[in-house]
Amino acid sequence: MDKENRIKVAHRAMLISGIFCGVVALLLILNFWNMKQHEPLESEAIEALVQRLSQEPNNEVLKEEIRSFDLLARKAYFTSKWQIKAGTWLLLIGGIVLAASMKIYTDLRAGIDPPEALTEGLLKARANAQYWLFLSGGLILGLSLVAGVLTNDYLNEYDRMAVSADPAVEQSDVEVIEVFGAEQSSENATPDPESPSEGVSVEEAEKSTEESLVAAAPAPAVATVSSGAFNPNDFKLNHATFRGYMGLGVSYRKNIPVDWNGPSGKNIKWKVAFSKPGYNSPVIWGDKIFISGGDKNGLVVTCYNRNTGQLLWEKEVKDVPGSPAAMPRVTNDTGLAAASLAVDGKGVYAIFANGDIVAFSMEGKQLWGRNLGVPNNHYGHSSSLQVWDNMIVVQYDTNTRGRMLALNVTNGESVWDVQRPVHISWASPALIEVDGKIQIVTSADPYVSGHDLDTGEELWKVEAMMGEVGPSIAFDDGLVFASQEYARTLAIDPKAPESYVWEDDEYMSEVGSPVAYDGLMYMATSFGVVVCYDAKTGEKQWEKEFDNEIWSSPVIADGKLYIVDKEGITHIMKADKSGTVIAEPELGEQGFALPAFADGVVYLRGTKNLYCIGN
Amino acid sequence: MKRRVNMHRKLNMQKRIPGFFILLFVIMVSATTLIQGQQRFPKPEFDSGYVQPDPTSPEPRSVALEYFDVFVLLAALSLASWLAVRKRSRKGLMWLSIFTLIYFGFYRDGCICSVGAIQNVALSIFDPAYTISLAALLFFLLPLIFALFFGRVFCASVCPLGAIQDLLVINPVSIPSWIRKTLGFIPVIYLGLAVLLAATGSDFIICRYDPFVGIFRMDGPFLMIFLGVTFLLLGTFYARPYCRVFCPYGVLLSWMSKFSKYHMSITPSECIKCKLCKDSCPFDAIEVPVDKAYRKPEVARKNLRRFVLYLALIPMLTLLGGWIGSKSHVFLSRMHPDVYLAELMISQPELREDETNLDIQAFLESGDTFEQLVEQAIVIRTKFKKGGLALGAFIGLVLGITLMNQVVFRRREDYEPHKANCFSCGRCMDFCPVDRGT
Repeated sequence: MDKENRIKVAHRAMLISGIFCGVVALLLILNFWNMKQHEPLESEAIEALVQRLSQEPNNEVLKEEIRSFDLLARKAYFTSKWQIKAGTWLLLIGGIVLAASMKIYTDLRAGIDPPEALTEGLLKARANAQYWLFLSGGLILGLSLVAGVLTNDYLNEYDRMAVSADPAVEQSDVEVIEVFGAEQSSENATPDPESPSEGVSVEEAEKSTEESLVAAAPAPAVATVSSGAFNPNDFKLNHATFRGYMGLGVSYRKNIPVDWNGPSGKNIKWKVAFSKPGYNSPVIWGDKIFISGGDKNGLVVTCYNRNTGQLLWEKEVKDVPGSPAAMPRVTNDTGLAAASLAVDGKGVYAIFANGDIVAFSMEGKQLWGRNLGVPNNHYGHSSSLQVWDNMIVVQYDTNTRGRMLALNVTNGESVWDVQRPVHISWASPALIEVDGKIQIVTSADPYVSGHDLDTGEELWKVEAMMGEVGPSIAFDDGLVFASQEYARTLAIDPKAPESYVWEDDEYMSEVGSPVAYDGLMYMATSFGVVVCYDAKTGEKQWEKEFDNEIWSSPVIADGKLYIVDKEGITHIMKADKSGTVIAEPELGEQGFALPAFADGVVYLRGTKNLYCIGN
Repeated sequence: MKRRVNMHRKLNMQKRIPGFFILLFVIMVSATTLIQGQQRFPKPEFDSGYVQPDPTSPEPRSVALEYFDVFVLLAALSLASWLAVRKRSRKGLMWLSIFTLIYFGFYRDGCICSVGAIQNVALSIFDPAYTISLAALLFFLLPLIFALFFGRVFCASVCPLGAIQDLLVINPVSIPSWIRKTLGFIPVIYLGLAVLLAATGSDFIICRYDPFVGIFRMDGPFLMIFLGVTFLLLGTFYARPYCRVFCPYGVLLSWMSKFSKYHMSITPSECIKCKLCKDSCPFDAIEVPVDKAYRKPEVARKNLRRFVLYLALIPMLTLLGGWIGSKSHVFLSRMHPDVYLAELMISQPELREDETNLDIQAFLESGDTFEQLVEQAIVIRTKFKKGGLALGAFIGLVLGITLMNQVVFRRREDYEPHKANCFSCGRCMDFCPVDRGT
């Protein structure tokens, strides 16, 4: 082999071994990074299962599942170790070949160049250097710019959520009547040094406000909601609370449309842009439809004529005793107005992330308001209100403590206020009827529990939940259904809560609540799977996967299942064992809220507009 | 006769290749074992209360001994200058580097160090509450002053980081000039980033990612040891990789050395253009003779056009770099622990309940409110906005000047050391067949 050929061979060997070493080194780094990211004994799935095992120490199936998970994790770990070892040897061999070929190549090319050739080489090298400097400099600056543009500025987001409320500023456009004594009102005119502020921790704020409330709460109300006779049928006719009648997700309205298109306006009777954002779902009473909203400038309750979309009134929440000087920090996916309103024909009631709970008359007068203490809630309060028999039920489980209370709709005073041995929860209370008596049922970590409506007393509880509970319960034909990601989906007989009627750990919900109707239970997971179970046996009837995430809850109306996905598409399915999709109308904007129903119409809230849809 | 002896020496070096492979093999296997060991056996936690020494922050030294260190540095720099410039002794420089490796490296645990002193100086300039010690300041200044007169004699045999790599240069290969120029841009970025992070009180990244300090202390985090072994392995055929591709202090030294009046020369008298020196330099730091070819009209015109273009580009690149730097301040500021923690707690609020997250739990138990943390983070981020602008502008400026330098040619008759890149190690002097009296 002549010298030229030897140079060629050495050059090729150098290139091939260099690329080989680079690839092996890259794989080793990726492998190492992967190992650092996924420690075998720190698997979330295993941790969740082990936690479950502590609750069910005799569950042999669970033990077997943990063992197989553990074995899998260990196998993956040792395979990865073997790959590192093999990779190191390959790198060593590649490195030796690379070094040898480089050496041979440079030695073969060595020689004394004439001065002319040296200069030519220098000119060529300089030209190459300019090209590569431009390229690498451009790449560095370009990547920095892209990274700079794409990086999410969490501090800025957080800063924008900070609101320095100035109680001295008059809001002349809001009709406010004095609801508490003159003494209190004058106190409220100046900032209360004891009220929670930005510099006070959430726990302290919650406690201090609650303490001040104890002294202030019994003050006589100047204006009150007229306390008329309670008629449960009115609640069945209207869509008075989150998830409708008793908060169970089943509507009794008829002729609900299945065909519309937001962007083209098809079957859109009206749409109005609301002034402030909020994830709460609309509620209806008579001809009025209500929503709430909140941003750094304030919190509002809004009322529209549900037939025409005309804005009847929008009132800002203000002069609430004990209300914090600054808004609490909440995450963007929860916001300040995530909890839905409740309405009973005499008043409309709203709760917000700062702990303010207020009542407005149907005509928009602020009747009373109180602050329950800024909730120590790292996402933001989202548990909606339930109203029944002149009482507003508030599930107020925070990081500080578990708490539930009932307020008198007429003046906001506590009818009862109980502490609960549960962790923070984002679920809403629902009502069920057992043996002719109404119970409140809540879901939180670790209990699904039933409470007496009149006293708040715990009637039964089942240890079944864990983690950050978001879904509320469903109820049908004597069974309560609950679900929570990493815990389970289960059915409970409130008359025999000692054991589960059935449970399933294949599908569990993270955000949306289950709904039960006519012997079937339906549930939507946040990753887009809708599943149907036999309510009595827990046998899976069907499952259907949709393209988009679902953060809303399935609801039943007119014998059909309505599920709004995150992209605003409503998946309308037959509420039966067939799993048939009837239609998938599009709203044209993202959807998080649940639909509200009235005869012949459905109301949908997007991220910007409220829609009335009817044929 | 002497030339023959030198050639023979070179050939002997080539015959040592099997030895090199054996060394490579041993180090590779050791490194593998080290990696495996580090993963399998984490350090024990002692019940007796014994706290293991932190490899990145050693115990402070008494003031007298600090000044003794300065004296040793000054003496070593003076001796290195004499050996490189006057005595022209490669052997002397090598023995001196062995001494400094033992003293500043293994005995002084790699700290105090001129390379890391950049950060102390930067912090003392931007943070009035921080007072730099005189010893640290002198460690920063003395090598630069010597470089201004005698070239990079600090790199030759005083820096322990350079010394440990230099002793393992076994079979160096030459790499194309364009790769060297491109890689040479990395230390500039590293320098800028290190100054920014030190000035904002975020981190001393030069110390944190010092690849050899773990070896000097025979202990250290996995990443530190891994980097050290990798650099040493790489250095067997790509000589002094850390010095050439990463060392931020080397940037400052090269700027100073460019103006050095008494820089060492390759030949003691007249160059015979034998090229032996070029082959002997493991750092590609010897400039070849340049004849009049670059003065050909078409070449000269092209170079002039480029020169004017790059000259005009310098302010534009500086402004563009500054703008991009200020845009990058959000992700750069995450290197500060307070900003990182605040953003973590905002973006993943559920972690506050995670008892295994030590950073968050430590903060929650500190008694500070989250609002205070966020306010502090916002102040730091504002500093990063200014700092990012300065860093970007600096990078843009250096890029522009480097590009401009590529079209500037100076006529050269002999093989000469590249003053900015030459480490003054003396290998070329050793290989030069020309006698002093020739």
